[in-house]
Amino acid sequence: MAKRKIFRISQALTQGLEETVNAAHNYSGSLRVEVIPLTKIELDPENPRSLTLTLTDLINGYHQQGSLDHKRKQELESLKSLAESIKNEGILNPIIVYRYGDNYRLVAGERRTLASFLAGKTDVQAKILDSKPSEYKLALLQWIENIEREDLTLWEKICNLDKLAQGYISGSNLSEDAFTPTLLSSLIGCSLPHAMNYHAVLLADEEIKNLIKENKIKNLEKAALIAKIDATKLRKKAINACIQGAPLKELKAICNQKKTNASASITTTPHINKETRGRAATRINLGATKNTAAIKFIFNTVFDSEKYSKLKDNFQGVNWDDYKSVSGAFKELVKILEKNEE
Amino acid sequence: MKIIVTATHKGGEGKTTNCIILAEYFAMVMKKKVLAIDLDPQANFSGRYLSMSYDPTYQGGKFPPLHPDYDAATDLDWDGRSTIADIFYGVPLIPYPTLIPELDLLPAYSSKLQDAEAVTKSEVTEKVHVQLKKFFDFPEVRQEYDIIIIDTPPSKGPLTISAVKAATHMVIPSQMEQFSIEGIYGMLQLWKQEAYSRGATNSLELIGILPNQVRDINLHKSFLESLKNMKGVSDYVMPFVIKKRAVYAELLVEGANPKMLFELPANNIARQEYEIVCKHIAERVYG
Repeated sequence: MAKRKIFRISQALTQGLEETVNAAHNYSGSLRVEVIPLTKIELDPENPRSLTLTLTDLINGYHQQGSLDHKRKQELESLKSLAESIKNEGILNPIIVYRYGDNYRLVAGERRTLASFLAGKTDVQAKILDSKPSEYKLALLQWIENIEREDLTLWEKICNLDKLAQGYISGSNLSEDAFTPTLLSSLIGCSLPHAMNYHAVLLADEEIKNLIKENKIKNLEKAALIAKIDATKLRKKAINACIQGAPLKELKAICNQKKTNASASITTTPHINKETRGRAATRINLGATKNTAAIKFIFNTVFDSEKYSKLKDNFQGVNWDDYKSVSGAFKELVKILEKNEE
Repeated sequence: MKIIVTATHKGGEGKTTNCIILAEYFAMVMKKKVLAIDLDPQANFSGRYLSMSYDPTYQGGKFPPLHPDYDAATDLDWDGRSTIADIFYGVPLIPYPTLIPELDLLPAYSSKLQDAEAVTKSEVTEKVHVQLKKFFDFPEVRQEYDIIIIDTPPSKGPLTISAVKAATHMVIPSQMEQFSIEGIYGMLQLWKQEAYSRGATNSLELIGILPNQVRDINLHKSFLESLKNMKGVSDYVMPFVIKKRAVYAELLVEGANPKMLFELPANNIARQEYEIVCKHIAERVYG
């Protein structure tokens, strides 16, 4: 009997076919860049403005008439260098819009749009989305757009990230707790420590956020550090130091003071502490001391409590001059407390 | 207006036969107003409905006959012939009627199409690429026709690309053999590239790969099986195959009687087989 012939489409061809279909599905519409007239571009009223100056101001020629206020004049100046480069190179990244009736609403690229006008262009390259993106997508696109800009304030960044987080949570039915620093770092593509700082600031209370809004706290790391301090006195100290312009090192030192301050509570937000070394502790190390009086104080405090007053008799025989005797007695005390306290 | 392109780089897969049967199905069975477009310099699609003349100046090439509406006395600035190739020359197009009332044809003109195919400079290819789409955007065209059927040459050149850029739907006929499957790969690349440029509202829908000329042999069965097991690709393999039958070739013979598949009795096995495929395509096109 003749051997049965086996026919297979090769691995390489199969892979090629599968990948091509996959790419077609995933990137459908991704290269849709068209040239649209500047006059048809309008802002999305639901998105925060990044500029006070508007396209209408420019179209009406206010910038040439000298009827701009100080803030708008500043913005105009910063747009002029962008306009120069657009004149020479064109815009490198198309702006992003979505269709809204006969016009287009801006998703990202406000500065590029205005600068294109200043450069004398009548139209601009735009990537046209089929519909308004979800809140999360919108915030993510704006984040990516702005990441190159150094002049963005901490407050602007925090607002953007807050929108991004809220959008993501509502879009994926997660609980607020599920929005972790790890998730944030994967969404915006930054390092985990960086995401942890943003996360801490996002969770900070109103006081801190107002200070950031007023531009009194401008640095992310400092803001994150302060946000994690629970003790009010210590926090006030840190805030004042920060506003006065204290470097990060100094603020960290202030934070570490909480370790020796008995009334300070331990923060529950984990953060990467550079001082931690060695294996994680699995039990409490009671340490050692030469100060017998301190130990005697502990004993007396315990005996003073109603619950353990009867114990006093059990420890009558302790020789307070003998370290060994005191050590043994202390161990006894701890054992008793272990049994009776949970 | 629906625009169906049948395309694959490989020759002999059944593009023209598929176009003929689809055009006749939509016109004769579904009574849609159909415009057939022949972009293949080989001009086989055109030759089915018109008496194409051999071009003395272009070896083996053909051009269309005089248009029935041509009046030499009054049409002084028209040579009496029209071809789809004229879209590359900015000349108005006048579709030819065919023996089927609902079916019109814009025939090939081999030398003119070949010139367009040979265009390689990038700015000029751009001009070729978008011309067909522009033509379909004319209100007169959209009002006149319900559905356009486009036959393409076996190539990856500007003609096929302009058809893909203009189309709303695509069919890829393919034999279940090595070189044919490789041809599918090339065609999917074109589809993918086009998908990148389209939005959600004007997508190019891949109706599917039509397993064609299938015989009852191990090779064909295995390859069809392999395709149906591929991730993603399997969604695009049509659930019906066309077997290799003499009748499909016989219908194409000049002077054949019957000429159309749909003149055969309804229970004819070939008619049934291809009619199922046409129905499937019609459902995908019209929803």
